[in-house]
Amino acid sequence: MYFSDVGSIALILALGFAVYTVVVAVLGATRGIAPLVTSAKRSALTVTFFLLVAASALIISFLIHDFGVSYVQQESNLAMPWYFTLSAFYGGQEGSLLYWALMLSIFSAVFIFTSKRAPQALLPYVMATLMSVEVFFLIMLAIVSNPFVRLPVAPPDGRGLNPLLMDPGMLVHPPMLLMGYMSFSLPFAFAVAALITGKLNSDWLRSIRRWMLVAWSIQTTGLLLGAWWAYHVLGWGGYWGWDPVENAALLPWLTATAFLHSTMVQERRGMLKVWNLGLVIASFALSIFGTFEVRSGIISSVHSFAYSAVGPYFLTFLAIIVVFSIVLFLYRLPRLRPEQEFDSVISREGAFLFNNLLLVGVAFATFWGTIFPILSEAVRRQTMTVGPPFYNHVNGPLFVLLVLAMGVGPLLAWRRTSSRALWRNLLVPAIAAAACAIILPLAGISNVWANIAFAACSFTAGAIIYEFWRGMRVRHSHGESYFLAFNMLLARYRRRYGGYLVHLGLVLLAVGVIGSNFFQVERDAVLKPGQSLNVAGYQLTFLGNIAYTTPGMDAVNSQLQIWQDGRLLRYIYPGRQFYQNFDNQPTSQISITTFGLTDVYVFLADWQGATSATIRVFINPLTPLVWLGGLLMLAGGIICWWPERRRLRIPVKETYAEGAALANKGNGDHSVGVEVGPSGEGTLVVARVGDWSEENKNIVSKAPLSHRQDTGATEEPTA
Amino acid sequence: MQPALIVPEEVSSRPRKRLPWSFLIAGIAILGAVAYLVYANTQANAVYYMTVSELKSCTSLACTTQSVRVAGVVQAGTIVRNDQTQTVHFVITQGVQALPVVYSGIVPDIFRPGIEVVVEGHYSGHGAFQALTLLTKCPSKFQAAPNS
Repeated sequence: MYFSDVGSIALILALGFAVYTVVVAVLGATRGIAPLVTSAKRSALTVTFFLLVAASALIISFLIHDFGVSYVQQESNLAMPWYFTLSAFYGGQEGSLLYWALMLSIFSAVFIFTSKRAPQALLPYVMATLMSVEVFFLIMLAIVSNPFVRLPVAPPDGRGLNPLLMDPGMLVHPPMLLMGYMSFSLPFAFAVAALITGKLNSDWLRSIRRWMLVAWSIQTTGLLLGAWWAYHVLGWGGYWGWDPVENAALLPWLTATAFLHSTMVQERRGMLKVWNLGLVIASFALSIFGTFEVRSGIISSVHSFAYSAVGPYFLTFLAIIVVFSIVLFLYRLPRLRPEQEFDSVISREGAFLFNNLLLVGVAFATFWGTIFPILSEAVRRQTMTVGPPFYNHVNGPLFVLLVLAMGVGPLLAWRRTSSRALWRNLLVPAIAAAACAIILPLAGISNVWANIAFAACSFTAGAIIYEFWRGMRVRHSHGESYFLAFNMLLARYRRRYGGYLVHLGLVLLAVGVIGSNFFQVERDAVLKPGQSLNVAGYQLTFLGNIAYTTPGMDAVNSQLQIWQDGRLLRYIYPGRQFYQNFDNQPTSQISITTFGLTDVYVFLADWQGATSATIRVFINPLTPLVWLGGLLMLAGGIICWWPERRRLRIPVKETYAEGAALANKGNGDHSVGVEVGPSGEGTLVVARVGDWSEENKNIVSKAPLSHRQDTGATEEPTA
Repeated sequence: MQPALIVPEEVSSRPRKRLPWSFLIAGIAILGAVAYLVYANTQANAVYYMTVSELKSCTSLACTTQSVRVAGVVQAGTIVRNDQTQTVHFVITQGVQALPVVYSGIVPDIFRPGIEVVVEGHYSGHGAFQALTLLTKCPSKFQAAPNS
């Protein structure tokens, strides 16, 4: 008995328990039998256990080099270091599907363990949906794409991992992206549960929003790592090429971003319910589309993918998801009426709607471009493709508008904003934008589009920084230092100021994208020792080539100097590596040196002996901001998600009859409780239901319980 | 204890009204802009993607006036490099059809006889295909195609 046999058996058992979970959870919910729901929970945890066993079996097969397993033979060999051998786990299709299924089961387990705070009526349906998705993946793993298939005779050595994947980026990028795709299952499960039960209350909204934030953060990380990998490994000087595979990963991110914004309109005003559910379902469907597209070979990409048998299965699954969701939607439409109406377009909800249309517009354009070859083939019998210029020209202007909306939105009040307040709030960012629009052309930047885009970025950056400043100033006037005030803003109003950090990160990223898009300089040269290449103020002097050999790999590196203004800045060694078994597919060691905000990107294209090198140099201004902005976005996302300290909550009717009576006067959507500050003083708080323990913007009124002055009520810096 | 104050927000008996005009206009403006951008840029940037035989047998004017993408396999023994001008001549084939290609610029890492490439550029109907970009199909991220 091999470890791979253990894995095969574990997969079958996991499949059995997953099917059992679906049946029992639905039965328990519809018949109202609590023990069945408990049984479903345990059974779902058993699925997690067996998938962990299966994954361990595959990992052990890799580590003991059991080349009798076809997948291990395909993806690894004896010369690979242990960490690449481990990462070969998800280097091929079978393993990546197993990884997907494993992560889904782990997330399901996390959901079950944290489900005490989730709405109980929805729980069985959430589990049933998650396990239905799991059943699909387990069927794929058991029948079509089994990683444990054995070869009749075990070869002495394996083929090895593709050299392009033998990069530290490979250790983290694919698992992140696959996990990102997978994590859209949880919001989807919540959406299905809500549609089935008809319970779309504020608890539900809170749960789905938090899980969507998790998915968003993971997908953001995956996209950033993918861009980082492309920039550092592929050698074409850029980080984003609008390849169908990249687009597929971007699509659910866009719809998830739209959801995270429009959900606030539902939370505050009870509107956009249909739209929000649509976005959740679209995010999940797009994540399955992404998983499918990569494996189906239906879209001819520069990457040629395996034409494997899984394509039709994925397409069927996708069709089932879409049809099932639409049917549920039509069934529940009467319950999804908005509770309130839109008042004015110059309002927070107006800005959110604007932002949503733009994000969905970008998603549509990207989807259109991605599937255009299929569309044109079907309609005009002629395959046509669109390249990066299409995406840049369509999405560029939309992103500029999005950046502007990001600056204006937070300055607007809910329902309607008086024009006086609006102008007062817009003054500082408008000055920032005007200053940018005047200074940059004077500094010699003549490109009109770049100037417009930079002005939009400085507008929004001005608006965000001004918001932070106003919040800090209010707290400072209560005796906090500015540093503490900054931290307290982030700690006390996580969603609001975390969101601002995400926005600020996106603005930085946008500045990086504009810089590298409009101002990249590219130069090729064949150099002999002592010869130099001048490009954008930098002088690169070639000294010679160095060749060396390590076990499993041959390498050549060129030695160059970077000079600027007569000063030697650095020695660099761009090179090429040839892996054993893949000697016709060299990989590049790209030299990227950052000076201030400019990357000097040197790629060794070719060489002749020790004394000639063909190099390609890119000067990428502002590109480091892409990574900096990305990190800031991620930090902001985590701050938004980070659980709040639980505050003391006192039942309304028993303790504060007076407050409850007051609350009932409003449409019944208010709750009453006591907020306990750090030093023990209490405040009677009347807040809208659903906003409890979130930022206290929604608090209708507050009254101090103690004689001490509570600063909490006056902290809110909104105008 | 101070009583908290709540002002009732709205009277629920107000009749439902439709979406305000301002929203409709703003929404239509955005959707119109997206639709226009997609349409105009599809018109401007769509490139024919064809095989060698499709290009050879193409009679429409578009094939010779527009930029075209062609996929094919690099034929062994046809690669001629000129290091001075950084141009490379080669022939791509697909089935029995062959197409000579001229390309100047840096050649991708894995360019060699027998691999599949995608060239984008202009073809006048005879002579060599003038390639502006040369893409090699990356070996699969996930696994080799069964026949490779």
